[in-house]
Amino acid sequence: MLKGHLDAIVLATLEVGPAHGYAIIETIKQRSAGTFDLPEGTVYPALHRLEQAGLLSSAWTTPPNGRRRRVYSLTKAGSAALGERRKAWSRFSQAVDTALEGGRA
Amino acid sequence: MSGAIDDYVASLRRELAFDPALAGRLASEVEDHLRDAAEADPVWPSPEAERRAVERFGLSREIAAQFAIDAVDRHARRTWITLAVTVVVTFIAMRLRVIWLDDDVLSLAPLIDRYAFITALAVGVIAWFAFRQSLAALAICLGGLVASISAGIVRADLFANGAPVHVLLSAAGEVALVGVLSFHVIGLGRRLRRTAVLRRPGLEREGQ
Repeated sequence: MLKGHLDAIVLATLEVGPAHGYAIIETIKQRSAGTFDLPEGTVYPALHRLEQAGLLSSAWTTPPNGRRRRVYSLTKAGSAALGERRKAWSRFSQAVDTALEGGRA
Repeated sequence: MSGAIDDYVASLRRELAFDPALAGRLASEVEDHLRDAAEADPVWPSPEAERRAVERFGLSREIAAQFAIDAVDRHARRTWITLAVTVVVTFIAMRLRVIWLDDDVLSLAPLIDRYAFITALAVGVIAWFAFRQSLAALAICLGGLVASISAGIVRADLFANGAPVHVLLSAAGEVALVGVLSFHVIGLGRRLRRTAVLRRPGLEREGQ
């Protein structure tokens, strides 16, 4: 179920600023308090897919005392897509909540 | 002696051999990721830290399969766009030939020209709504267009009849596009086969 929403979760993770793959997966784990325990490699096909769609951009960077890393940033189209996906998720989750609560009434 | 991370990166490169540029880029990126993950492990530095980082990352074949599936989607989209353009150009070329020839002689070639085109169009429209990655549907469309274009060119006998430039150009355009379309359909077939191999269960080659 999570895989279907991974792209939106990755976009949301990059909303606060650019990050590399390892940092993205760590943020996802922290934000979900360990609930989203996907194999870490799963994030790379999603990053590549989002970049191909123009929702992310990436560039190699080398910090002064660290190793070279590919850092991903949200593009303008990515921010817009994130907004759309948030709205869609909100509608969907409200509908599910209503359906589930309906049985208790 | 190579460690778990080196072995994993080599295995990922092998699995992504269908796209060498992607394999090169991803190998560096994944190696950075795994070294970060190993260094963050409480038992670092040790071979165990590397092994655990690799284990958390997931099987290289499954990661490669995800990339392959995405590549199939992109390739299928390109193929459908080429098919749509080819259908439009073939239709225009067909009409230009009819106007130029100005005849309605009932013989086999014009019938093939017309009905092969209609078959290609109908199969294409149905397949677009029903199964967008169907190689069979694309192959039928391609076959229909090849038959239509061949029959159209044979019927008009362009060079012997001294066809005007716009008719020759439109014929050249449809032949070129059907060539590009064939290239895409063959490529999509290859990608689908590779993806099927990567997704086949029980072929773990990395001993994880």
